[in-house]
Amino acid sequence: MGGLGGPPPSPPNARKRRGGAVALLDGPPRGAASRSVHEERLEIPPSSTYASAVAVPLVPLDADAPSMTTAPLVFTGRGGEYFRIWVVNLLLTVITAGLYSAWTKVRKAKYFAQNTRLDGHVFGYHGNPKAILRGRIIALVLLGAYTWGFQFSRVAGLVTLMVLCAAGPWLFMRSQQFKLGNTSFRGLRFGFDARVGEAYRIMLPILVLWFAPAVVTALTADEGWQLGLVGLLTTLAIPWMHHRLKAYQHGRAVYGDRSFAFLGARRKFYGVYLKGAGLVVLAVLLGTTVAFVIAWFRGPASQFPGTGFEAAIYGGIIVLPVYVFAWPFLAARLQQAVWTSTRLGDVRFRTEIKARALFKIVFKSVMLTLLTCGLYWPFAAVALARYRIECVRVDSELPLTAIAADLHGRPVAALGEGAADTFGLDLGL
Amino acid sequence: MRANEFRAWFFSGRDGEAAAVVMRVDGERVVVEATDGTVRESEPLTTVMMSEPFDHAPRLITLRSGGTLEVEEEGGRLARALARAGVAVSPVVQLRRWWPAVLVALAGLIALVSLAYLKGLPLAAHWVADRLPAGIEGRLGDQMLVALDRHYLGPSQFDAEWRERLARRFADAATKAAPGVPYRLEFRATSEESINAFALPGGVVIVLDGLVRFAGDEAAVLGVLGHELGHVAYRHSTRQVLQSVGVGMLAGMLWGDFSGTAASVPLVLGVLKYSRGFEREADDFAIAFLRANEISIEPFYDVLVRLVEREERRGIATLPDFISTHPSLAERIEHVFKALDE
Repeated sequence: MGGLGGPPPSPPNARKRRGGAVALLDGPPRGAASRSVHEERLEIPPSSTYASAVAVPLVPLDADAPSMTTAPLVFTGRGGEYFRIWVVNLLLTVITAGLYSAWTKVRKAKYFAQNTRLDGHVFGYHGNPKAILRGRIIALVLLGAYTWGFQFSRVAGLVTLMVLCAAGPWLFMRSQQFKLGNTSFRGLRFGFDARVGEAYRIMLPILVLWFAPAVVTALTADEGWQLGLVGLLTTLAIPWMHHRLKAYQHGRAVYGDRSFAFLGARRKFYGVYLKGAGLVVLAVLLGTTVAFVIAWFRGPASQFPGTGFEAAIYGGIIVLPVYVFAWPFLAARLQQAVWTSTRLGDVRFRTEIKARALFKIVFKSVMLTLLTCGLYWPFAAVALARYRIECVRVDSELPLTAIAADLHGRPVAALGEGAADTFGLDLGL
Repeated sequence: MRANEFRAWFFSGRDGEAAAVVMRVDGERVVVEATDGTVRESEPLTTVMMSEPFDHAPRLITLRSGGTLEVEEEGGRLARALARAGVAVSPVVQLRRWWPAVLVALAGLIALVSLAYLKGLPLAAHWVADRLPAGIEGRLGDQMLVALDRHYLGPSQFDAEWRERLARRFADAATKAAPGVPYRLEFRATSEESINAFALPGGVVIVLDGLVRFAGDEAAVLGVLGHELGHVAYRHSTRQVLQSVGVGMLAGMLWGDFSGTAASVPLVLGVLKYSRGFEREADDFAIAFLRANEISIEPFYDVLVRLVEREERRGIATLPDFISTHPSLAERIEHVFKALDE
């Protein structure tokens, strides 16, 4: 069975706890009472599997921190179930010429959130589809202007870039607010502490650097040394930009009345990107070699890179290794760097994500998706989500239940979330 | 535990504490009882917000008070109790829960996407192309020419006088056969002597030196130029650009959430597929063009045949753009051949 629907080997507790409501780390007095009530209904005898599942998190991490407890995240989604959701979502999206996509986005987000369990409780997603539809229309207009602006005229292109710089930070801030503000855990909402001035201070340098090569291309007649210089500068700044964005996203996140903190990992980002760049070069070399071999086998008259359709096939052969080899490495190491630097009070996060395991999942997903003409896509999405989610560990000195009970909800609209609900942008960052 | 009772977690929304409670679906109300039996909440089913059922995830039920219940499905027991209480299940949920219905939906989806791809997009692209301001089309073509000049094309090696004579001949023929089709003829050459001619959006027709030498005969060159003028008259290039944008959007809808490299692969496939019908139309246009000018179709037909022979010698990898519709090539030649007989 392997990949089709069946989850990859995961800890036994991932599937055994149909009841789900078991709080793995319940604190002594109150927790013990609630657990005794629930044991009866769960009908799961304290079998060896169950006992070990409970025992694992309670093992002290190391001698220096004997009181540290660890809670894993568990993903209960299944490829087969998500396939059915995906098909129906797509059918309705195509029938409505894309308008229904906002509703499918909400259903998808709910599916992944409610199938993610931390300490026995699930996450919730509450986004308003109409707000997402409005956000998508805004995004589509901006994307269209960005893609076609310079085709139309230099002035139109430059004006588009200026509009993007002027609106970008505010849109990003609002999108974070929408995403986090509509996510809940244990009845409390996450949130994003959005301050307009800060958003511009953080984001404007990123946007200016990002668009600099496009501006230079538009203003200089030839793709000369100016473009090379600016392009190099922007490329070298990518780790810095990415880190700045992540630091802002994680540093201003809020859960209940408590703020997340981001400690900073700029050096790690540069290290990861440096190795990642090496892998990209290797992957491109590999792809180019394969493409040349194919071109050679097809006969001396065949052109490389060729034109039109052929160029696209050869391009695919070159890009595929980058996606399969370099992306898993970057994604795994960056996820590690980001989460180990994130704190929520005393709560720490870890991820045991491994580039090699991620590579196996991506490779299998790409191959099966191509072989099945895209039908494996939902299975791939679930497999990837399962691995990325189940690698995360939440460490804390007190059991999570005790910490959560001490958290409070925010007064409504404390962070201006009412306004954020007018439209939802998913930027996928 | 009675059939309408469920163990649940209750979150007040004021703090993160998880309270073990019993949720009872009581007639048309949801009643939340603490472990000691005291009623914490009681609300009509019509005002609560209930999440969709998923196979392995608990249901989240939000109450007006701001509190949330987290209730396991218990293998469908919750769904049955809610159905007895008259809670309607949305048609979308009913559809996706039943495999046969999902397979029907999949078949419908494939049919719809094929229909959109084969019929809907070409129609939409045609409609938009006819309404696109000429300025935008012209700019699009000019930019493509600038890019081609920068990377692939060089100036023509033929002398200006010869070029002007051919241009005038073509202009006269075009006025006679297709007045009011705005075009601009450009002569170019490539380093490896490509045999090609093509039309860009906005009416730019490019003819390469290689093609002129290969054709040898002026009547044959005029036939090829008539073919390109057909592309211009029907706005094929613009329609093709618009169609590939449409294919990209369709692919994005299917596989990406407006992202992902995988989504851009079918884009190129779309461009190839569409060109077959266009070539046929342009051939018909070329035949009519030659006839209107009382020029023999034979040299044009001859060029097509010789191109195929040449390709068969060299392998199909180097088919020039204006003939690059592999499966229908023989068919096209036959089509022109029929015109030859008439």
